[in-house]
Amino acid sequence: MSRILSRRDFLKALAASASGALLAACGATSTTQPTAQPVEIEVTRVVAGTPVVERIVVTAVPEPTRVPEAVADVLGTFPRRETLIVRQLTGRVGTPDNMNLWVGWKWQDRGLQNLADEPLWSVDFATGNIINGLAEGDPKYSPDFTSLTIPLRKGVAWNDGTPFTAADVVYTIETHIKHSGLNGHTFFVDNVDTVTAPDDHTVVFKLKQPNSRFHTTFLDRWGCTRIMPRHIFEKEADPVQFTFNPYVGCGPYKLHSYDPQGFWTAWVKRDDWDKSPTGMMYGEPQPRYIIIQAFDNEGAQILAQLTHQLDVAELSADGLKALLAQSKTSRAYQPTFPFVVNNDPCITGILFNTARPPFDNVDVRWALTLAIDIVEYTSIAVDSSGTLSPVHVPHLGPYPKDYIAPMQDWLKEFTIDIGNGETFAVYDPDAPKRVAEYARSRGYVFPDTPEFQAQAFGLGWYKYAPDVAARLLEKNGFKRDANGKWLLPDGKPWKIGFVCGTTLTNHDARNAAAAVQQWKKFGIDAEVLAIADNDGLQATGDFDVSGNWPAQEPWGAGPDLYRVLDRWNSAYKRPVGERTQGIYSRWSSDEMDAIIKDLRETDPFNAEKTIEIGIAGLKEAVKNMPGIPTYGYIGFVGWDEYYWTNWPGSENAYCQPYTHWPNFKYFTPFLKSTGA
Amino acid sequence: MAFLKRYLIPRLIQYVLVVWLGITVVFLIPRLTPNDPVMAMIGMIRARGSTLEPGSMDGIIADLTEMYGLQGSWLDQYWAFWGRLFRGDFGVSFFQFPARVSDLIANAMPWTLGLLLTTTAISWVVGNIIGGLAGYYTRKGWSRTLDAIAMVVRPLPYYIFAFALLLLLAGFMRWFPITGGASLGAIPSFTWAYIKDVLWHAFLPALSLVVLGGAVNFQIMKLLVQNVNAESFVQYAKLGGVTEGRIVRKYVIRNALLPQITGLALSLGQIFSGALITEIVYGYPGLGMLLYNSIVRADYNLIMGITIFSIVGITTAILIVDLAYPLFDPRVRYY
Repeated sequence: MSRILSRRDFLKALAASASGALLAACGATSTTQPTAQPVEIEVTRVVAGTPVVERIVVTAVPEPTRVPEAVADVLGTFPRRETLIVRQLTGRVGTPDNMNLWVGWKWQDRGLQNLADEPLWSVDFATGNIINGLAEGDPKYSPDFTSLTIPLRKGVAWNDGTPFTAADVVYTIETHIKHSGLNGHTFFVDNVDTVTAPDDHTVVFKLKQPNSRFHTTFLDRWGCTRIMPRHIFEKEADPVQFTFNPYVGCGPYKLHSYDPQGFWTAWVKRDDWDKSPTGMMYGEPQPRYIIIQAFDNEGAQILAQLTHQLDVAELSADGLKALLAQSKTSRAYQPTFPFVVNNDPCITGILFNTARPPFDNVDVRWALTLAIDIVEYTSIAVDSSGTLSPVHVPHLGPYPKDYIAPMQDWLKEFTIDIGNGETFAVYDPDAPKRVAEYARSRGYVFPDTPEFQAQAFGLGWYKYAPDVAARLLEKNGFKRDANGKWLLPDGKPWKIGFVCGTTLTNHDARNAAAAVQQWKKFGIDAEVLAIADNDGLQATGDFDVSGNWPAQEPWGAGPDLYRVLDRWNSAYKRPVGERTQGIYSRWSSDEMDAIIKDLRETDPFNAEKTIEIGIAGLKEAVKNMPGIPTYGYIGFVGWDEYYWTNWPGSENAYCQPYTHWPNFKYFTPFLKSTGA
Repeated sequence: MAFLKRYLIPRLIQYVLVVWLGITVVFLIPRLTPNDPVMAMIGMIRARGSTLEPGSMDGIIADLTEMYGLQGSWLDQYWAFWGRLFRGDFGVSFFQFPARVSDLIANAMPWTLGLLLTTTAISWVVGNIIGGLAGYYTRKGWSRTLDAIAMVVRPLPYYIFAFALLLLLAGFMRWFPITGGASLGAIPSFTWAYIKDVLWHAFLPALSLVVLGGAVNFQIMKLLVQNVNAESFVQYAKLGGVTEGRIVRKYVIRNALLPQITGLALSLGQIFSGALITEIVYGYPGLGMLLYNSIVRADYNLIMGITIFSIVGITTAILIVDLAYPLFDPRVRYY
């Protein structure tokens, strides 16, 4: 009865098997295992058990997208009018089930830092204030800065109901000292001798050496040392491997659910929101749910907001234009040109590698500065929408009042030696006016008041003086060839490679494009080098010029510039080839070292003295120009007012405007539902 | 025995050598690039505005180097890597520390397999059947129309075509979701509602791949059939009175299909690299984005983990096709 299997029979059997395997593979798409989350399960039941509300609005994919009703009912539903949907800056979460942000990188803007966590203090760059979170007030240092006492806010509870106390802070520090896998391990080992809690609401640190800025490790500026809930972590043998899921924080929201593929994380308002510092300070957050969603392309973001599926979009300049042109309900940060968010606490610009000739020569650095026509430059870089700053801090928050305005007289009188005993006053207080006039000539409409001009375009920049730039170069042996191209003192053609990242909408690339165009016009063979790992090249000194920030970002609140100036400390400089620890320009000076030392020995809460030293530091930076500050970082935010209004726009800047910043939680009580 | 000695054993040795060589090259290449996983992590944290105290930087670098297991020479790391691999352990992801590489791949793999196996199979079957018929009946109106459509569709850059579909069917018509592998709030479960939701989200990515992939198969198959159709054995069959249907099915398409089978095997092997542009345009989960991010962030272990699947997938596919070829083409014999 047996027969030999023919070739055709075998092929038939093979086809049947392949079909089966294919179907099985398709089935695998849907077999992603549910992630057991006690919190999300509980809340999901609550949602499903509120039939009246649930049936009103559809799902997270809101009207008018056609969602099959059966799907909407079964899959976790969010009443749209109670839900705020915002874009996640850092993209898809790689490890959605791991929320232990003390270890490595954990996409903290997925809601961890901006909704669920509460730091001791936060900076608010829109108001220039430092906000007390878990701390009740400023830290008090001993006169020699070897100890400090931090008062803690009373009545705060973690989102699982456990009271927050000083024991949590002590536990956090001691755990960091014990485990080298935690991000802050080295810092605390280097700095902390002992940490104690004399009572439930006071923490005392004894430091190993004087450090007047020790507390800033707890000051949240898109990252800080966050406090661990002791009652959760102490049950874990290894806090480095612990996934800390669900996240337990003192913020006003707690985890609802998340996508195992990392595209979204949903948060729900705590029932006891009044036990979070946010609730205590600002009242009840308005959105019941907040979903933070990652988008892999800008077009999808625009489409999502046009169909009211995304309340907060963050786009490129062109993306924002496209959105505003098509949407009847979207708005930008500023209601008129330049539309952009212009108060981010970063100064963009040009960074020189001062360890590499000819950029080790301050005359060359100044020549390259004076070869820039800032009107053309900002037009190329950001369509004239940047706010200029002539010094190494951005024009925002406290800095115009504390630094840029008081430095105006000095800047006007500041001169450089251009040879033959002649000097040249480099400052141009009319530069912002020229930028505004150029923007207006291109059809942009905006208020014509000095206040608006100062807020939108800044207080001044440097002159466009190519003839003076030429004299500075000639003074140092540079020459032009027959075609007008600049030659180095050794007679070789001068080529500048301007390094930036590969995302050409980022500000390093925008500055690169503008600077290269300006320097080519001046006769230098400059080119943009867009390199993915440009950070590594800069850190080891293998570059000419880059689009990195020309100075370390300031805190964005308070007058203290220690964070900016200290990166120029000569102690952090490393030889080319080794990763430097300070700023990548590798510039330092004895004068700057003395200023940093002076600032280090000054109480950061002594505003008058701090500003005085800060001004001295900025003057030293301008004199040496190790990097050229151009315009403050600008962001392109699109807010949909279909479901939510009262956004912190420029006309009502009650809080910083970004939803990825930790302070996002502080503006949730001020949002107003439209009832749509 | 002759088959074993003359063909199978040497072929298996070659297979093992290719896999070893491929894995070794993938081990070396990331280490030869200027990317460094420790610096990538520090750079990422710095770029996002977090404070890393300059004075603590040396300590942080030392801690991360130890934590990632990057101490020692490349040779030490190479031996440690093979030791782990033989135990089925790809190690931990550097950038997504302490997540295990195998977990990250296992999370993304079903999405990639589900989408690409299905679309590769559909575009191959449909493209070859229609292309085969169009190649035989070249003078028919429908054949010319399909050929014209394929001529227009095939040269379109995939990104443009995929985004146009998204704009039209998700943005303008609003029939499909704009992004994601499932709806916001959808918790994975083996329920019909969830499966429907996943299929609804997969439709546009799949459509884009099937249309472009199908057009390619259509055009290749059409040309192959036209060539076979001109062969003397086909003319002889026609003169001999063999029915047209039999000529098409048994004589023409079957013979033209042989190179397409090799193409299918290679396509299936390449599935493990994912579909990066599809994932970006449609915000769809999968291995493509995981691999891209691992390369950008110098996540050596993750690069190795994903590419090992790809290397093994492609070499195995070629091996299987080689071994199975006599089944499809009786003229081929290894003994």
